[in-house]
Amino acid sequence: MKKLDKYIMGLLFVGALILAFLPNKRYAYHQIKSKDLLYKTNLNLRYYSTDDIAKAIISKDPSILLIDVRTPKEYADFTLPGAINVPYDSITNTKNLSYFKQDVYNVVMFSNGSSLADEVWLMLSRMGFENNFVMKGGLNQWIETIIRPPRPTNLAGQKEWEQYEFRKSASAYFGGAGGQVNSNPTAPTPTPVVVPQKKTGSIGGCE
Amino acid sequence: MGPLFPQNIITEPVNLLIAVLIGTGFGFALEAAGFTNTRKLAGVFYGYDFVVLKVFFTAAMTAAIGLFFMNYFGLIDLQLIYYPSTYWLPTIVGGLIMALGFIVGGFCPGTSFCAASTGKIDAITFVGGVFIGIIGYGLVYTPVFSKLRASGKMGRVNIAEWLGISDGLFIFIVTIIALVAFVVVTKLQAKWNAKRSDEFLDDLGLDD
Repeated sequence: MKKLDKYIMGLLFVGALILAFLPNKRYAYHQIKSKDLLYKTNLNLRYYSTDDIAKAIISKDPSILLIDVRTPKEYADFTLPGAINVPYDSITNTKNLSYFKQDVYNVVMFSNGSSLADEVWLMLSRMGFENNFVMKGGLNQWIETIIRPPRPTNLAGQKEWEQYEFRKSASAYFGGAGGQVNSNPTAPTPTPVVVPQKKTGSIGGCE
Repeated sequence: MGPLFPQNIITEPVNLLIAVLIGTGFGFALEAAGFTNTRKLAGVFYGYDFVVLKVFFTAAMTAAIGLFFMNYFGLIDLQLIYYPSTYWLPTIVGGLIMALGFIVGGFCPGTSFCAASTGKIDAITFVGGVFIGIIGYGLVYTPVFSKLRASGKMGRVNIAEWLGISDGLFIFIVTIIALVAFVVVTKLQAKWNAKRSDEFLDDLGLDD
């Protein structure tokens, strides 16, 4: 047997010998266990209330990232100021996944009610991503509490009144009833043209 | 982290270009090992030249050991690499048919294309035979072969998993078998060649 043959055989033997003692390595596409997911879901720690979000937007909190998970058409009609649109059917595009994979921002997702944002949250939590939250009640709750806050009853305590005052000022900040409904809110409203009245000469009187 | 194409790291045209380059290297290696010579190829079955066995085992074990090391160090994800499902019955039948063709014709399908590209007439005829066989199989598939083709399905079998041992241990066992086979066939080849006269060996057109 030639020397090269012996050399190759020796190399293969050494390689296989080392390999024999190595454990099986499988790359699991990271998913948390279903028990952990159930626990996390039931804790209900994923909710941000509409008041929290209003405070975050007004104070320009840099750690919150708002994501609208509805379709692009609904996003164009009406959305929260500063929200990004990631439609629920393109969550797993690699471009969009980077929003959810990071641990710098707290991502708060919202939709019309709670259910769509909750579904997206469930999917992302299953993939093991932290830092994702849901705005409780979605845009419906937003309109009911922030834009058109209900007036507290006689029996309400001071905290409720303070909340109501905050909500009223937030409502004014966000443009009052309806929020950002029109596409360019800065369009000047047409002012009625004032036609100067022609002063007619006095009729009668002294001549 | 590989593999490149299943994870869309490279596009399909680039994938095909890499395939062309790998194929070029493969053809070069086959020709350099002498696999375009029918006498060397069929020598395994007659016992005077075991180069096919040596090259095959060396290639397979190098690839296996290299791949599993790469998997361990995170350079490639073995779970994404495709391998087809196992149908044991049609595989055995097909293997027997191919072995018959190999001994009679002196080529296996891959080496026949290599030899045909070097200009050997018998290789070109062999390639013609391959085409006729494939077309004939396709024409009579539904009535004759479809049941055989679908029988013996075992799904995607990983032998190490099937036996219940770790991958590395299985590769080690196969490497030991390969090394023992190398030593045995070298002795066999030397013994066989010593029995024959020099003229006979020259007539065969072999070296070593």
